[in-house]
Amino acid sequence: MWLVRPAQPSDLKAILELAGGIGPRLSSTLPRKDEALAAKIDESVRDFAICNDLDAQDHRGSLRFLFVLEDTDTGAVRGVAGIDSRAGHGQPFYNYRQDALIHASHELDISRRVDVLYPSHALTGHTLLCAFTIDPQLKDTDAFELLSRARMMFIASHRELFADQAVVEIQGVQTESGAVPFWDSLGRHFFNMDFETADQHSGALSKTFIAELMPPNPIYVTLLSPEARAALGQAHEKTQATYALLQREGFHAGVYLDIFDAGPVLEARTDSLKTIVSSLPGTLHGSPTDDGERCLISGGDRADFRCTLSAMAETLTGDIKVPVKTWHCLGLDAGDAVRVSPL
Amino acid sequence: MLVIRPLQENDLEALYAMAQSAGKGLTTLPADRDLLQRKIRHARDTFNQRCAPEAGLYLFALEDTELGQCVGISGIQARVGLDEVFYNYRLSVTVNASRELGVHVRTPTLHLSNDMTDTSEICSLLLSDSHRGGGNGLLLSRCRFMFLDHFRKHFSEKVFAEMRGVSDKEGRSPLWDALGRQFFDMDFTEADMLSGLGNKSFIAELMPKFPIYLPMLPDSARAVIGRVHDNTAPALKMLQSEGFNFNGMVDIFDGGPVVEAFVHNIRTVRDSTDRIVMIRSKPGDKSRGEVMVCNGAFQDFRVTTVPADCVNIDTISLSASVASALGVEAGDRVRLAPLKDAGLSTTNRNGDTNHAGRSSRA
Repeated sequence: MWLVRPAQPSDLKAILELAGGIGPRLSSTLPRKDEALAAKIDESVRDFAICNDLDAQDHRGSLRFLFVLEDTDTGAVRGVAGIDSRAGHGQPFYNYRQDALIHASHELDISRRVDVLYPSHALTGHTLLCAFTIDPQLKDTDAFELLSRARMMFIASHRELFADQAVVEIQGVQTESGAVPFWDSLGRHFFNMDFETADQHSGALSKTFIAELMPPNPIYVTLLSPEARAALGQAHEKTQATYALLQREGFHAGVYLDIFDAGPVLEARTDSLKTIVSSLPGTLHGSPTDDGERCLISGGDRADFRCTLSAMAETLTGDIKVPVKTWHCLGLDAGDAVRVSPL
Repeated sequence: MLVIRPLQENDLEALYAMAQSAGKGLTTLPADRDLLQRKIRHARDTFNQRCAPEAGLYLFALEDTELGQCVGISGIQARVGLDEVFYNYRLSVTVNASRELGVHVRTPTLHLSNDMTDTSEICSLLLSDSHRGGGNGLLLSRCRFMFLDHFRKHFSEKVFAEMRGVSDKEGRSPLWDALGRQFFDMDFTEADMLSGLGNKSFIAELMPKFPIYLPMLPDSARAVIGRVHDNTAPALKMLQSEGFNFNGMVDIFDGGPVVEAFVHNIRTVRDSTDRIVMIRSKPGDKSRGEVMVCNGAFQDFRVTTVPADCVNIDTISLSASVASALGVEAGDRVRLAPLKDAGLSTTNRNGDTNHAGRSSRA
């Protein structure tokens, strides 16, 4: 069975392999260095534990959660996904806001629209879905949807930990040779390094660290190279599946762009995310058969959070009937509280 | 005899003819009768002190007394940017540094600036083709420094000149094409012409206000920032020999440099001395060089050149006709300054006409 659970230090090697398989990517991704990744996993373990201790009144802090997708039959970790409860994690969260100015002259009777990219921190403190990485072989499977949406199930069950607005950064345009047109037209000038090198530094330090070396002034779109202009707000081809899934969830592209590759930043109101709206709490019960609607089912508090896919039959009284193997997978027993959402 | 005097109303036709033959290169003086007429009136009011000192436009005519005609002009704008906004780009540097990344990158950056506001500008130099050479360009240019020296209180301590930037034979400017044009869909020649007609600040208001990072501009545009048009190179050299230096400002359209100097440091000002006039009929010998002689009057300002061997220890010998042209008598005090300097060969003089050929705001 497919299971999504909090990442553990023992997952380090598997996650490193997954992260190594993807190309350079400066935004919301995983570090590809041992120590940095180990630190990130430790941070996640600690944050899951902290939130176990938290009083319901005090959830202002920024927490970082990392989940893994495990094949319970083999024990193999095949994907990873994260949530930062507050984007920026206490530091400014940088984006460009694409905006327009009208350059007009009454005397010459001329008016002209000028597109400008403004550095912005406006999305700082929103809940950020990040670090989504999955074994490419699983791209068109239910496991893909499970891994992505399990985070929404977690948010639904721990709503008080998260902000009212959620954002996701989508990878921008990159050529097959690894060049990022937007970076080459803008960021490269200020770092004297290619995208991949900057990406490595970003993994070792932080995205904010790199972002703060970018020019603090607005950038005129018309002065970017034609390739960079064409890449504004465009998602990388290989993110199509992710993009489509997030759109179904209710995320939409707005005026914010990634400051390094100009990929779109998707935004949504947390409370209107489809999984959060459509998921229902219920009580776990056994079912003798594998019949019923296939859905996401999650249970367990914070560090004990588990989410899997299972056939499910629901009764009018809110009892959720699932096969016993699903209980085992979730580590729960009859009578425990669970949450379900249709696939 | 060639004499510098304030420009007068009856110079209009001569000025118009010169402006016409100067063609497109000269923004300051477009061949537009009404505009030239307004400028002449403005200059007349300035010399008659009928306008506020800071609004003054001092235009000087080079008159060929034999022809009785104006054969060249030059000017000083008392203050720029007072009744409209005067824009330049300041060429500065943005440094990105991080010890952790081992990064230390300098990015040349253009910042829109109004720093030249309230400063005096030398401008509008134009010399008729028939009178090129023989130091006439130098006289037209340097007479202004003698005026500045005499009437410092009417001007700022520092004066500047905008030098024409690079453009090709068809009048295309690489900087305009890469920058201005992106914001304002117009040819450089048209924008240039509009700015000559006094619309420059309107155009400037359509230009980008945020800093421009030069690496984002094409190489062709970056290469011309702070560089002068070939025709203007001699004029730049002349101003440099007077002590003018590039001050980091460039024209927002073509990237031509702004050069500036403190009045008290200008070579003509430093090298000028006073002499008492003596009238004598013996003509001097021009082969030993010439000096500029200035009468020091405001409304009747006059400068002409005399052979250097007319200069004595305390006095200067002037013929009666020269004294009359200057409006001085024996015993009057005049100021002298050298006309030529060793560093400047005669081949440079033809370019004098284009110097400061940019943007007078009158």
